Amino acid sequence: MAEIIVVTSGKGGVGKTTSSAAIGTGLALRGHKTVLVDFDVGLRNLDLIMGCERRVVFDLVNVINEEATLNQALIRDKRTEGLYILPASQTRDKDALTQDGVERVLKELSETFDYIVCDSPAGIERGAHLALYFADTAIVVTNPEVSSVRDSDRILGVLQSKSRKAEDGGQVREHLLLTRYNPSRVQAGEMLSVEDVREILAIPLLGVIPESEAVLKASNQGQPVVLDDASDAGQAYLDAIGRFLGEEREHRFLEVQRKGLFSRVFGRKG
Amino acid sequence: MSTLQNREAKVGPLFRFKNARVSLNELILLDYEPDRLHHDLAEHAGRLPSLFRQMPILINLEQLPDDVALPSLEQLLGICRENALNPVGIRGNSRYDSALIAELGLADFGSGGREKTAAPAESEPVEAVAPAEPESEPAQAEPESAEVPHATGGQTRLITAPVRSGQQIYAAGGDLIVLSSVGAGAEVMADGNIHIYGPLRGRAMAGVKGNSEARIFCQSLEAELVSIAGYFKTSEDLMSDHWKQPVQAWLSGTKLDTAPL
Repeated sequence: MAEIIVVTSGKGGVGKTTSSAAIGTGLALRGHKTVLVDFDVGLRNLDLIMGCERRVVFDLVNVINEEATLNQALIRDKRTEGLYILPASQTRDKDALTQDGVERVLKELSETFDYIVCDSPAGIERGAHLALYFADTAIVVTNPEVSSVRDSDRILGVLQSKSRKAEDGGQVREHLLLTRYNPSRVQAGEMLSVEDVREILAIPLLGVIPESEAVLKASNQGQPVVLDDASDAGQAYLDAIGRFLGEEREHRFLEVQRKGLFSRVFGRKG
Repeated sequence: MSTLQNREAKVGPLFRFKNARVSLNELILLDYEPDRLHHDLAEHAGRLPSLFRQMPILINLEQLPDDVALPSLEQLLGICRENALNPVGIRGNSRYDSALIAELGLADFGSGGREKTAAPAESEPVEAVAPAEPESEPAQAEPESAEVPHATGGQTRLITAPVRSGQQIYAAGGDLIVLSSVGAGAEVMADGNIHIYGPLRGRAMAGVKGNSEARIFCQSLEAELVSIAGYFKTSEDLMSDHWKQPVQAWLSGTKLDTAPL
């Protein structure tokens, strides 16, 4: 049985898709057979971030409507062994998703995969609800900013009341992933600190991803940022994946980096 | 005396009439059982205390079947007022004496017209009735709502997980205890007291059925709104003192007081 992970946030633009791609790739790099499912029907992005947009033929809605088999729709990642992508449909909307259809697809996927990473759309409506409904684990992506924190709080409430686990009297495991973290802006009081966010949301911290130029570069190149293991963001995601798999790893990138002599002389950016 | 005359001479008429369109809610009676009506209204009022605060309403009898015994109008008004409603008029009336209606300070809005029962005798047009003309004395009506049976032997409700933004928790008939935080955008309500052993960042409403003895206790006051028996303070007013401190809130008269714990 696969573990179903939903990457969700409530708010848009906080880094759900980037994080889904990074976490999915990271899990595959660690030897777990993983599939990334894009639930953002109508606003398909995951394929771009994963750099497989030219290989999309069938999609999630086709599989739900039984117009294609799962094997026809799954795209094998060429860089990472054991990683597959199930893209969303760009021409349809969220109403094309049905609960029965999603359940059937996830059930079929869980026969062959270890992890199913569901990239949720923003919002708390149908698309987001179906993405999280079957989840065993939720990774709540939050920016250190008040509106994002409030929306995350809201989505945690939805997870606790409207997921299948909750309906059966259980609980979805919750993890906080803080993205776009900029220690110098935190120090200047312009950004909420890790402690502020943890205090408000009161769920375990999976990782803190620093605001990084590597993320934008990775997105535009269609290459998950974890593959750029020289980058701070890539390393932070790899740490988070390690923690997800039960390893003890110290949180990094929380403090302002003092520029060393080398970078000061050559003006290189962190 | 002379000054008054002077003023009159200068200012001109003391009033004028103007056609005002006011939207009113109707309480449409489908049947009449006084006890049940009282109970159900109280429940609604408990859930939406801010809406029920002396909300002016029309009592609509259009859908009350003819075979149902005509309610005692005094009793019906009493039930409404005890539940923080302010009946200002009656509509769809074909059976009450118009003198009685006038005596009770209600405006008669006629028989509605849509109904087939619209009696030809009722030709009084629906016109320019000053909307708040009959009793608008919330100060006097307030204590009435406090008479509603409150927090008697109700169950205490215990919440151990954080109350998240968008969630609503209501402890009917008793106290509410939250062992964690109440997030911004969350609402916790109780007929009795509210205890929050964490930061209160959302809204807390105690004594929602009018229990003015109810209190709110929290570990850290960061609330959007705190209300007891309908009297409330928003964060703007709360921020000045004891912000982010352990605080209790209670009602002294009509004033919501807070003090550090």
